[in-house]
This record gives sequence, structure tokens and C-alpha cells, in this order.
Amino acid sequence: MDITILGSQIIGIIPLGDIVFYFTQFNLFMFATALAFTAIIAISKTETQVEAEFGKLGDRAVTVAKKEFKIRRFLAIICGLATAGAMITGDLFDFTLFVCLTGIVNIGIVGAVRQVDVLDAAYQYGLIAMMASLPLFGGAALILAATGTISLLAINTLAYTTPMMILGSILLFIGVAGETGVAPFFATKAEMFRTPGSPFLLIIHLSSLLILVRLIEILLIINKPF
Amino acid sequence: MILVPDVVSPIVVGLYAPAIIVGILVGLIGLFGISVEKNDLHVLILTDIVGIGMLIFVAAVGTDLAESLILPGLVVELAEILAISEILMSREMRKSGKTVELIPTPLHFNLEILQTAPVFLAIILIAYGAFLSGFTGGAIAGAGILFYVMSIKVRGVPSGVWEGLAGVSGMAWCLWLVGFLVLFVFPQYWLLGLMLAAFGVFIKVAFKAGLIGVMNREEFKKE
Repeated sequence: MDITILGSQIIGIIPLGDIVFYFTQFNLFMFATALAFTAIIAISKTETQVEAEFGKLGDRAVTVAKKEFKIRRFLAIICGLATAGAMITGDLFDFTLFVCLTGIVNIGIVGAVRQVDVLDAAYQYGLIAMMASLPLFGGAALILAATGTISLLAINTLAYTTPMMILGSILLFIGVAGETGVAPFFATKAEMFRTPGSPFLLIIHLSSLLILVRLIEILLIINKPF
Repeated sequence: MILVPDVVSPIVVGLYAPAIIVGILVGLIGLFGISVEKNDLHVLILTDIVGIGMLIFVAAVGTDLAESLILPGLVVELAEILAISEILMSREMRKSGKTVELIPTPLHFNLEILQTAPVFLAIILIAYGAFLSGFTGGAIAGAGILFYVMSIKVRGVPSGVWEGLAGVSGMAWCLWLVGFLVLFVFPQYWLLGLMLAAFGVFIKVAFKAGLIGVMNREEFKKE
């Protein structure tokens, strides 16, 4: 392999027809992090949350029932695997699909909760995620139209950057920000975090962080500012 | 920088910019509607309009690749709207303290033809569906099984049969997925992959009727 992406050598690729996964030192590390965290989630038990009561000295323990616990762990594992897939994919549209999958699964993780305010926050987050699919897929489609390919390895070899590609990148960024619920859309996600049932909830956080780092790598590959 | 080959007519190439503008307009109309509307359910439905704007963006590219990318976009859109509507239902149930059934109205087929028509027709449909194979064959064979179910409904059907059918449907779906995996990983065994996918999806679609049977089971017991 003598292909270089952002200054680091490609260690290897997994060719599955026209869907190609590739490894560099950078994304291999993030892939391993996502998988390791998923493995920890798969074997861990949920915590019992203790809430202080107002006006009294008593505490109240909030536990998660066995059935709810199982489905939530399953969804957390799916979320971890989708994040890991988004880390190593060499296909722009695959990346957007993995991002959407983490978005849907994030809604699912808090969906079984029996608290009205948490469900309300999840509903608002879901609306934002759905609206964000317009810039997300729209951006990917603009990049496809501007470059003629969605393979990151092929885009990496292009010597030029057109304004259309920059517009597509900006849309892609807005889309991922909405889908993972970062910066301007963070408010509803913070509400979702008040649910009992860590550590499964932490995968929501970890997936959005890793996907954002990966997105910045993809934007650098597309726009080549250096 | 023009990437479009010469064989494409300039009219088709010229349609790209108007299509993108239409997509942006559709998105903006949807967002404006969401900002005005206050009812949660209406907001959810309006969000779907924004999703349609996304489909226009992808479709505007107008190549074979874009055509194959519309389908995952549509599926993601549907999955999200289903997830959010489930959240909305769950929240409303939690608020009001009432629960609702998945199918609120019981199915009553008060048709004489279901008792008098020969059940042999179902066998013909299933055989023809097996001959066609694939998605179309699955739909025809499924219609045959559904016809059999409805015509035999008066006598009642043991519940174990339906659970078994549902299980077979799930396993056949796995067969379909394995077929696709074979196409990607071992392209030299493409015939095996094609056959696995074709007959997997045939059995799966056919036994969708079995799943309907599972949902009808409660009705069978009542009568």
C-alpha cells in the first residue's frame, strides 16, 4: 500500500465489492476505542441511580427493570458497532448511514424510559435528527455530484476542490451536528442524560464524540486545505 | 470541470440546478411549517416533508448510483419517523395512563366467498409464486397463504403453526442476508449467492402472511 491519507500510510483495506473499509493509524485507534467500549458495555451491569429528595434528608434509588435493561444493552451494543463502522468506512454514503443508525439507536436507548420529561426530550431530539437528514444526505449527494464518486480513497486522489464540494462539506457538517446532537442542538440530549441506566447511556456521548472527530477527518480529505 | 459524459443530453444536465433549488425550497417550506405549528403530531408529519427534500437532493444527481442511494435514504427516513412516533405514543400513554392495542379494531371477514371458494386456488397461487421466486413470487405465494388463512378462519387454526411460520420467515430472511454477503465476499460463487437471496426473499415474503396469522391468533381464540 502506498496510498497516503492526511499524511498517514494506509495499513490495510477490506474490499467488499465496491464497499471498502480502510485502516490508517488514526482511524484504527478510534475503531479500537469504539469496539473496546462496546465490549465493556456488553459485559457490564447497570448502575442504581440515587436521587436526593427535596425538603427531606432521604434518598430515593432509581433502578432499571430487567426487561428494559436488556433491550437497552442490546441497543447500546448496536450503537457501538455502528460507531465503529463509521470510523473505518471508506465510503461517504456508508458514513452517513452509520451516523443515521447511531441517531435512531440513541432515540431507542432512552425510548423505553418511564419518565415523561425524558420522552419529551427524546422526541425533540428525534425531530432534530430527522430534519438533519436533509443536510446530511444532501451534502453527501452534492459531493457525489461534484466529484462523481463517493469513495473517500478516490476523492483523496483528486487534485482540485470546487465550491460545490465546499458547500457539500458544510451541509454534511450541519447534518452530522444535528444527527448526533452536538453544539447548537445539545439541549435536548442533556435532558435525555438524566435517565437512570448508565453505562449504556454513555455510548450516546461517546458515539457523537468519535463521529465528530471522524467527520473532521473526512472534511479534511474532501477539501484538502493543506 | 465537467464530469458528465457527452452522451447525456444537455437538458438533463441543466435540470440539476433547478432540482437542487426545488429541494431547498421543499426543505424551507417544511421548516417554516414546523416553526409555526404547535401540535406535536403535526410537527412530526411536517418533518417528513423535510425528509422528502433530502430525497430530491439525492435524486437530482440522476445516475444509477444515486438511484441505489435513494433506497437507504428512504429506509432511514421511515425508521426515524417510526421511532419518533413510538416515542410520541409512549409519552402520551404515560401521560394519560391508558394503553392502546397495536391493531385496535378486530378483523371480521363476513364474506360468503371465503367459505365456498375452493382452497385449491391457494395451492395454485403458492405453486405459481414458487415458480416465479424472488420478491414478486413471494408476494403471490403470500396472497395464496393469506387466502388459505382467511378461508379456513371459521374452523380456527392451532397457534403453534403460526408461530412456526413466523420463525421460518425470520430464518429465510437470514438466508437472504447470507446470500448478499456471499455476493460481496466471495464473488466467484455468485450463482449460490443469487439463489440464496432469491429463495430466501421468496420464503420470507410468502410467510409474511404467517406473521399476520400470529396477530390474528387472539381473534381465532375468541370465535
